[in-house]
Amino acid sequence: MSETTAIGGPSRFRSSGRWLTSGLQHAYIWLWMALFVLPFLTTVYRSLEDPKGGYSFEGYRFAFGSFQDALILSLQTTIVTIVLNILISIPAAYAIVRYPIPGKRTILAALNVSLYTPGAVMGLSLSLLFAYRLSSIQGSFWALVAAYVVGTFPLMLIPVIVALRDLPTVFGEAARTLGAGRWRTLLRVEIPLLGPGITAGILLTFVIVFNEFLVTLFIAGKGNQTAALTIYNILARAGFAPSTAALASIMQFTSFVVVLLFFKVFGSRYLKGTYLG
Amino acid sequence: MAEVVVDTPVPPRSTVGDESRDWRKALTGVGLLAPAIVIAIIFSIIPLIYLINVSLTRESTFFFNNPQYTFDNYRLIWNRYLPHVWTTIRLATLASLFCLIFGYPFAYILVRKVQYRDLVRILMTFPLFGPLYLTYGIRFVFGVNGPLAPLFDFIGVDSRTLLFAYPEQMTIFGMAVFTFPFMVMNVVAALTNVDPTLEEAARTLGSRPWQVFTRVLFPLSWPGVLAGFLICFGWNLGVFIVPMLLGNIEQQRVLSLALYQKAMSQFDYGLGSAMGVVLMLLAFTVTWLSLRFSRGALAT
Amino acid sequence: MARVTLQDVTKRYGDTVAVDRVSAEIADGEFVTLLGPSGCGKTTTLRMIAGLVELTSGHIRFDDQLMDNVPTHKRNIGLAFQSHALFPHMSVAKNIAFGLTNRRAPRAEVQAKVEEMLDMIEMTGMGDRMPSQLSGGQQQRVALARMLATDPRVLLFDEPLSALDRNLRDTLKYSILELQRRTKKTAIYVTHDQSEAFAISDRIMVMNQGRVEQAGTQLDIYLRPETEFVANFVGDNNTLQGTVRAIEPGTDGIREVVVDCSGMTVRAIAPADLAAGDAVSVFVRPEHIEVLPDGSREGQDGVLRGKIVQLVFEGPTLRMTIDADGVPLHVSVSGTERLALLDQANASVWVELRNPSVVKNPPAV
Repeated sequence: MSETTAIGGPSRFRSSGRWLTSGLQHAYIWLWMALFVLPFLTTVYRSLEDPKGGYSFEGYRFAFGSFQDALILSLQTTIVTIVLNILISIPAAYAIVRYPIPGKRTILAALNVSLYTPGAVMGLSLSLLFAYRLSSIQGSFWALVAAYVVGTFPLMLIPVIVALRDLPTVFGEAARTLGAGRWRTLLRVEIPLLGPGITAGILLTFVIVFNEFLVTLFIAGKGNQTAALTIYNILARAGFAPSTAALASIMQFTSFVVVLLFFKVFGSRYLKGTYLG
Repeated sequence: MAEVVVDTPVPPRSTVGDESRDWRKALTGVGLLAPAIVIAIIFSIIPLIYLINVSLTRESTFFFNNPQYTFDNYRLIWNRYLPHVWTTIRLATLASLFCLIFGYPFAYILVRKVQYRDLVRILMTFPLFGPLYLTYGIRFVFGVNGPLAPLFDFIGVDSRTLLFAYPEQMTIFGMAVFTFPFMVMNVVAALTNVDPTLEEAARTLGSRPWQVFTRVLFPLSWPGVLAGFLICFGWNLGVFIVPMLLGNIEQQRVLSLALYQKAMSQFDYGLGSAMGVVLMLLAFTVTWLSLRFSRGALAT
Repeated sequence: MARVTLQDVTKRYGDTVAVDRVSAEIADGEFVTLLGPSGCGKTTTLRMIAGLVELTSGHIRFDDQLMDNVPTHKRNIGLAFQSHALFPHMSVAKNIAFGLTNRRAPRAEVQAKVEEMLDMIEMTGMGDRMPSQLSGGQQQRVALARMLATDPRVLLFDEPLSALDRNLRDTLKYSILELQRRTKKTAIYVTHDQSEAFAISDRIMVMNQGRVEQAGTQLDIYLRPETEFVANFVGDNNTLQGTVRAIEPGTDGIREVVVDCSGMTVRAIAPADLAAGDAVSVFVRPEHIEVLPDGSREGQDGVLRGKIVQLVFEGPTLRMTIDADGVPLHVSVSGTERLALLDQANASVWVELRNPSVVKNPPAV
């Protein structure tokens, strides 16, 4: 009806008030989004500053040159951790969702202990373990991988459990009535349907392990400095430099690309009940 | 769908076959779980047992042939390092409160008003890449010639001394930005489950906006708020890099930093481990509380 | 194609019995429906035939082959699920081909079979679609094609239509019947919907609390319920209490039972286990109670006088409650005479109870 024309004045006033509220609400969201991104953008900006004045890619050249090993090590540990997490978590998730195991809650809680242990505590306790009992792998690549796996496989386990629980048993039953044996059912039907849950776990593992520095600080050997740890070490010793800014930018940019790819392919629904969602 | 099982009296018969099948299934299940359990025991449970063990020995005598067992480390924490414990709890509390106060309206607007939710989610992952880069970047943002310098100069805050003039505020801010997404996600989850028609109903019944909030919205989203707060709190208890880069000596007393210095720089493993045990107990208490209040989110 | 034999099939979960000593023989090519309320054990029985649930005791045979220890994927059955259960990550063609590739059929043969199946369900050329792009009816038809593609010995249906809307349900149930008639395969169909069961079955088995209450043709179950449960579950029935006066040899050599009930005499076909003096329940369907024009037949068998206490006009039918000396009778009238009764509320009328059935009361506990 023609309410607006009948009481034009007050209604226009009211609607402009509503506009103001709505504008402020969006401004608040954008303010926070700026706060999320600003540290990254400023870091990128600083990474382009040349110590001798002006702007250059000197920092990046330096980062890719002298930090190359660290970057490669970060990628290697991340990928190996992801593979091991998959191999450990999928059978474990099946056991927890589909098998009658006594004391399931306790077991799940025990598996998640590492998830709730503060990084420094985990780092110190692992360094004690490696010094006291497992000196053969102390400071090695595998010591890092072991720490990452134990710290992150629950992040893979949880989304897979969620996905497996959401997966109706009817698909597996349908496959069996159509003559598919246990392995075929698993490989052709169930794992593809769990795919997004597994991918969510991969994303979480990637984001965490690729950027981990604290546990690494306690257990990394001399020759095994990951990229994130390198950034920390230079910061602790030499303060802020364009080359570390460049390395930090590279790390965040890589992580962000992985996140974007995930959202593009799978959307955000499979991150529910996890760390990111 | 599964049939409802009907209870009818039948003469008892042996069910040995069923039981042995169940046992076999349970065994297979345990087999599938074995790798996860073994990894968790070797690299998570046993190390924590060592940590407790070492915390009961003097300095680094644990690694000698005859370790000297003592409660001195805990006595020392009680007598001298209690301020460290309080600083840890205080910073975590304030940062989590900050998250709550600013995160709740953020989550509400996000759920009810915003169409570009995926954009927000994607940008919100930046803090999750870890507090190292975040704090590093915040140093630049609030540092000399930072992007916000003109703004601060305009409102009369000296941008050149900003970073060092407010170490506690800066530390709390840094911690809060890192844990902000955890708070928002929990409140978003809670608010998504609150039917918007309830708000409308409250309004048609004459509630003012703040009454809608205090009487309808907040009580209904309370479990998510609590879970979010406790998760933030848990993360903030373990804070390490933020006070190191943004705080001064007072904030740098937090347990994670202190235990690193004691154990890794001064090789006083006993005291460092005891600090670790205290921190672990704090973290596990918080986890236990959050699992109790958000029953079903992760567990079951 | 196979004959399916169930012999004392039992499923127990802990102390509760889901299926209790069910025995049945389903002939080759027969279409049998398991009908019952939810929780009666019909789905569990079907799932035991499919091998998805293990038997606690008893035996299942296809022809003479014992199936107890044959895993599902080696039984060569087709099962239609309540939800169509199409694999969401596979195209229509891949779904239909799934069973064939499990049997390592040659590629050309698989392709030909998929085309044939698509033609059969009138979805030619839609093999590349994903299940999510199909309508509910198309999805269920693809599910049927998928289960038929492997030429299974037995077709099993677990309420395949219950998730669909009414119109679709009506068309699809005849498609299912038609497919079964054409392929001449043994079919076992589970439903709680009696109109579905009546429309498509050769034979119906009514289940309750894990047991088969009655097995028979539609007419047997409708006109001659053998238990109180069947009388009340299948359609509506008025229940009257009575006592057997005599068993008499009736016409055509069928024994008749004469029952005293509510001050009148009722005659019905006698179940085998009755003797004079037994307490029985007499069931009369609302649609089998006729309102008589006048009282001229008062005193004859099955004729009662009563007062119309409630009239509900539902369009095609008129529902009435008639108080016959304190016994409330539900009557439903569908003929044109219902229009004349519309203004007869509180009138006195005579009614005749036709086609009554009699069930012996269980001993009082």
